[in-house]
Amino acid sequence: MLRYFAALAAIGLLSLPAKAGATIACDVPADVQTSARPLPGTLQAVEQKTLRVLVLGSGSVTGPGATGPDASWPARLQAALAARFPTTTIDIAVRGGRGVTVNDHLALLREASAMEAPALVLWQAGTVEAVRGMDPDEMTEAMRQGLERIRRRGADVIIIDQQYSRFLRANTNIEPYRDKLRLIAAAAAAPLFRRYDLMQHWVDTGAVDLERTARPDRGAAMDRLNDCIARALAELIAQGVDEAR
Amino acid sequence: MTANTIQTRTVRDARADICRGLALWMIVVNHTPGNWLGGLTLKNFALSDATEAFVMLAGYAGAFAYAGQADRQGWAPAAAALVRRVSKLYMAHIFLLVVFTAQVGFSAAALDRAIYLDELALDPFAEQPYRTLLEALLLRFQPAFLDILPLYIVLLALLIPALLLRGRPWLLIALSVSLWLGARASGLNLPRWQEGGWFFNPLGWQLLFFTGFMIGQAARGAPSLGLPPRRPILTVLACTILGAGLAVMVALEHVPTLGEALPPAIPDFLATVDKTALHPFRLLSTLSITYLVGHYVSREGRVTRSLLARPFAEMGRHSLPVFCFGILLSFVARLMLEAADAWPMQMAVNLFCLLALISVAIIAGWSRVTVRTPSSALPTGPDAR
Repeated sequence: MLRYFAALAAIGLLSLPAKAGATIACDVPADVQTSARPLPGTLQAVEQKTLRVLVLGSGSVTGPGATGPDASWPARLQAALAARFPTTTIDIAVRGGRGVTVNDHLALLREASAMEAPALVLWQAGTVEAVRGMDPDEMTEAMRQGLERIRRRGADVIIIDQQYSRFLRANTNIEPYRDKLRLIAAAAAAPLFRRYDLMQHWVDTGAVDLERTARPDRGAAMDRLNDCIARALAELIAQGVDEAR
Repeated sequence: MTANTIQTRTVRDARADICRGLALWMIVVNHTPGNWLGGLTLKNFALSDATEAFVMLAGYAGAFAYAGQADRQGWAPAAAALVRRVSKLYMAHIFLLVVFTAQVGFSAAALDRAIYLDELALDPFAEQPYRTLLEALLLRFQPAFLDILPLYIVLLALLIPALLLRGRPWLLIALSVSLWLGARASGLNLPRWQEGGWFFNPLGWQLLFFTGFMIGQAARGAPSLGLPPRRPILTVLACTILGAGLAVMVALEHVPTLGEALPPAIPDFLATVDKTALHPFRLLSTLSITYLVGHYVSREGRVTRSLLARPFAEMGRHSLPVFCFGILLSFVARLMLEAADAWPMQMAVNLFCLLALISVAIIAGWSRVTVRTPSSALPTGPDAR
């Protein structure tokens, strides 16, 4: 509730929306910050000089709308992590794509031999499920099973929630899925990367607003968004590694 | 059957109307994502929300309207009235669906979403229009936010046979509980078009509806189980259930540091609390609220007669037009919030919605009094519709 009043006050002060432009930083305000949790598996991998990260997700992991494959957020994340851990090889595998649900992710996790064991799994969920109106409890069950599998393999996990957009918010019943993701993450003692709140904050401050960006500039804005997301994620991962030390 | 055997001239319980009005208002607020008031509705503080209250009070009102009519005129006329009501709801649902589809199309065009939201298949209408229309008519396609009316339709249809059992409350509630348990154990649900079942499984939610029906029956003096009497132990129990719900909701939703300090078993349990088939905890939460309101809010007290409560009572008295108009309003409100969502628009949206809902209630009340048909000269009970 406090959050709402704080947001109310903050937006009241800034009621003239800032102009979108490259000058506005995509900051991570304290009230949207995910508190880090120790990532022991990741720390161990960093110390052994090879960090394998598995990204599970739906459309956004493949970088649609960006100017090139190097501009997707997993690719930007690799660059950001490489900068933070210069002596470690960062290996990011991306599994997922348009219309892929947590049930598909679970099937992927089950075929254990299909990929080299990651030290860290970034699991993005909740969008396709909400859009298709999948039973939130079915999503919960699939994720609980998947998380259990990841835990047994000794990997760390960070859960990533939906993208924010006015269209998604207005036309899907997204709240039940966001609530479930919060609970699922808390139950697995995994950090929840609050992409939805972050993106909303960036829209409110005018840092990145895809829906109000003219079509010719949209590729550049998408790149910027992916970079912002990747940096915030890299920060969260680095904090988790520090906490595990 | 005369009015002497069962007292039909019971005065309307203002508390039920006020709660129903509040629930209707909260449903509109919760149907406009991005509305700041959405952080203050019941679902943020309890493990149940306005939908539960709405369904229970629908059962309560159903007892007055249809069980009352069945007592006076027999089962057939009451069943006929229910059929009329169900068709009205069905028509309202289809109308709202058409409006909703238009709204999605409008906001898709307004936001030019094509590039990065391409994974969204929100409009099966664009891909398979004829099939989608058919599935919508069969209630097997229910877009987001249009899932309460189909539930209500099925619940009222279930009331038709259930009216035959109104004289045997124990049997009725035993059947209802069995159906709920059976649906929960087997996962039985009404089918959806693409996959899975209804967002609100009527086979589960009917228990809440018939619980409300029982309380309504008791309130009008018909054979029923009614609300348990006021006992300290029950009060403590109800407060404990609601207090526990409040504590974990506040911790998990609003105080992240506290939420992380909770043992993972608590969020793990909460993650399994489903809304679809009415989890027992959601049922208990709703029953606790009902018990406390029933025993601790005075029927004719200061709260129920206050100026603040009056508009909600009026809304609760005319729930069908208010509900349908509210869903319609939520479409408009979503488009408004899509255009801008800073505080001036937040104020505008909420004032507009609330005033519009109150106006609809007042107009509905006025038209019921002035445009009465002669047939209502029959000795009717309080018209709880």
